[in-house]
Amino acid sequence: MASRFSGALQLTDLDDFITPSQECIKPVKIEKTKTKTGAKIKIGEDGYFDVSNGQEQKLQKVEITLADCLACSGCITSAESVLVTKQSQEELLRVFSERQYTDNKGVTRRVSLIVISLSPQPTLSLAARYKLSPEDATHKLAGYFKSLGADLVLDMTVAEDFSLMEAQQEFLQRYQNQQNDPNSKNLPMLASSCPGWVCYAEKTHGNFILPYISSTKSPQQIMGSLVKQHLSQARHLPAGELYHVTVMPCYDKKLEASREDFYNEMLSCHDVDCVITAIELEQMLESSGLHLGDVLGLELDSAWGEAGSGALRRHAGSGSGGFADHVFLHAAEQLFGESNAQLVYKNLRNPDFREVTLEKDGKEVLRFAIANGFRNIQNLVQKLKRGKSPYHYVEVMACPSGCLNGGAQVRPVVGESGRELVAQLEVLYNRLPLAVPAQSKMLRKLYAEWLGGKDSDKAKAMLHTAYHAVEKSDIALNIKW
Amino acid sequence: MSKLELVQTLTGHKGIVWNVSWHPQGKIFASCGEDKTIKLWSKEGQQWTIKTVLVDGHQRTIREVAWSPCGNYLASASFDATTAIWDKKSGQFECNATLEGHENEVKSVAWSPSGQLLATCGRDKSVWVWEVAGDDEYECESVLNAHHQDVKKVAWHPSLDILASASYDNSVKLYKEDPSDNDWSCIATLQSHESTVWSLTFDKTGERLATCSDDKTVKIWKEYKPDNQEGVIVTDRESVWKCVCTLSGFHTRCIYDITWCHHTGLLATACGDDIIRIFKESETSDPNAPTFDLVCTKLNAHTQDVNCVAWNPTGNKEMLSCSDDGEIKLWSYTE
Repeated sequence: MASRFSGALQLTDLDDFITPSQECIKPVKIEKTKTKTGAKIKIGEDGYFDVSNGQEQKLQKVEITLADCLACSGCITSAESVLVTKQSQEELLRVFSERQYTDNKGVTRRVSLIVISLSPQPTLSLAARYKLSPEDATHKLAGYFKSLGADLVLDMTVAEDFSLMEAQQEFLQRYQNQQNDPNSKNLPMLASSCPGWVCYAEKTHGNFILPYISSTKSPQQIMGSLVKQHLSQARHLPAGELYHVTVMPCYDKKLEASREDFYNEMLSCHDVDCVITAIELEQMLESSGLHLGDVLGLELDSAWGEAGSGALRRHAGSGSGGFADHVFLHAAEQLFGESNAQLVYKNLRNPDFREVTLEKDGKEVLRFAIANGFRNIQNLVQKLKRGKSPYHYVEVMACPSGCLNGGAQVRPVVGESGRELVAQLEVLYNRLPLAVPAQSKMLRKLYAEWLGGKDSDKAKAMLHTAYHAVEKSDIALNIKW
Repeated sequence: MSKLELVQTLTGHKGIVWNVSWHPQGKIFASCGEDKTIKLWSKEGQQWTIKTVLVDGHQRTIREVAWSPCGNYLASASFDATTAIWDKKSGQFECNATLEGHENEVKSVAWSPSGQLLATCGRDKSVWVWEVAGDDEYECESVLNAHHQDVKKVAWHPSLDILASASYDNSVKLYKEDPSDNDWSCIATLQSHESTVWSLTFDKTGERLATCSDDKTVKIWKEYKPDNQEGVIVTDRESVWKCVCTLSGFHTRCIYDITWCHHTGLLATACGDDIIRIFKESETSDPNAPTFDLVCTKLNAHTQDVNCVAWNPTGNKEMLSCSDDGEIKLWSYTE
């Protein structure tokens, strides 16, 4: 089976299937029990059994979690099969029906509230697949999840707003720091919402590139904090009893959700428990013989005390969330007093590498870029390494055309090119009602009520994260000629 | 009676010699190997001798070297994960650009016929296309993840910007650029070999491809273009490649390299049984089911695996070979 991870991740071996010459180097703790020598082991269909003391005793299997694979630079075992155990449609359906799940510490926990967070890109992908309007598709998806047993189906607008606001603010800070110390590694600031890119950077470029990557969490992980920290409190539920599912355009998001950084020790749970993608939803619908259009539609819920129901919204700029546009406009206004800066992108070597500049008194003062796809990530990284990057900010996404073309979006039908489909999704995206973070009352309210204000320690803790270089270890077994 | 006569044995490398590459004018060639050096050879009187040794370009084994079509640049692919570009703008050969991006061992490097593009491949299963973007500037045009195992070799079509790659996943893949977004994609997968495909070579028309494999066979593939006269069904307006001939029973071990002379049409193979073999297409060969005759078997061409064979590009029937035994040999073929 072809890998569904982005090209960047495929290269880092994360999707590697076990090949004969490779072995997992993860140290496994073995609980020693007193045994006589010469254990007799029987291989059964459902496992291995120790039969040395007369009765069959099932031997424990060594489990390797996705988190192990992410933190390791070794083999790697088939991360995809590891994913299957935790972040699959089967697991999701099981949680829906049993209302309990087993966390990565092996503890089985009761589920009191199942929360689904819908991001725009996969919803649009399914809208195109089932020939529905974006609004219709949103409602039908809400209805579908409710029919399966979800308690709340939410849009992620507010999490996206948070992510954009924090990125804008972070850029101003980095810009100032760079002015104060031109040799510092504050600029260019590189977007952090794409987990394929972040994981690639951690595994292959480590400490050279990580200081440039924005510390702002992605919308998915901010939504995770909102649901597990804020919503659980509002509902007076232990965070571990909330099961949080996000609907996303790529498989790499599953890796992001599984990161140790997004596991809360105090609450002992992940911020996002399961990531499900457009293509998996299509499969789920197909395997139950459903057409999304035939599902009873329901309004999205509202969880943050707003009036009325939620709705899918877009942000100005790229279909990947508009990071470059927001940061640019904010910086133009705050740093250079240009409240009406125009964003005119210029294609560089290919349509997936575009740049935009701001001039002040005939002098270029800001240069931003959008670099999508692995080849452009490469050229950007090489430019940085040679000290030839002219940019202040780069919106980096691992998939060509960005998130609307995410690796787990529904495939084009026979006779339709991938590009035509992406163009169609761009049209749908641009028809969504616009969300403007700076004008969001909800955002202001949450900053005040949940985080105790902008720039508070809590805001920093909830809305920012850190990255870690993965050390390479070249084990002999890995070398192949 | 056809024969391959040894002209000269060239020593100088320490350890395995992995690859040799003729300069396009056929008067110089480059060699590389385990000793992390590149040696440039040319003729002095009747003897080929080392003219230049390029050191310090790579930290590990150099697996392959390739001259640009203009003859001014030399690319070297190394297990240190980099590809170096050498030129002598300053008067002597120097490494003036390094292509970084592969995760680990780079196995092969090839220049496109125009000299504007380069392809590399390696253990990370990917094939990369690079564009010459100016003086000592190379930009990544595409990273292709079509193979699911180690990629052993890349080779360009002789006149078009079509790239072929051979892999440990037993398949060969062809790629070309999509003008709408300048990205490259896989346009054909050639499947028939039962083990690793080690090398591949186009004929002079580019309409046929010869591949060699660990399965001890050589296969000849023919391109069927849209609306071909033979009535082979072509979908999506992309040519279909069919295996039209399998040469089996000739080689006794893994075949590491194959080269198709664009002047004489002769096919030569480098084999793990230390033998160099030469095949010639029969006079009566049917284009849709061609037949090839083994016209020469050079037993004990080397004392260990033959890693590479290369016809002199001028068509003078000179051939180079190199081996695990540390030697390079220059041969002359006569019918």
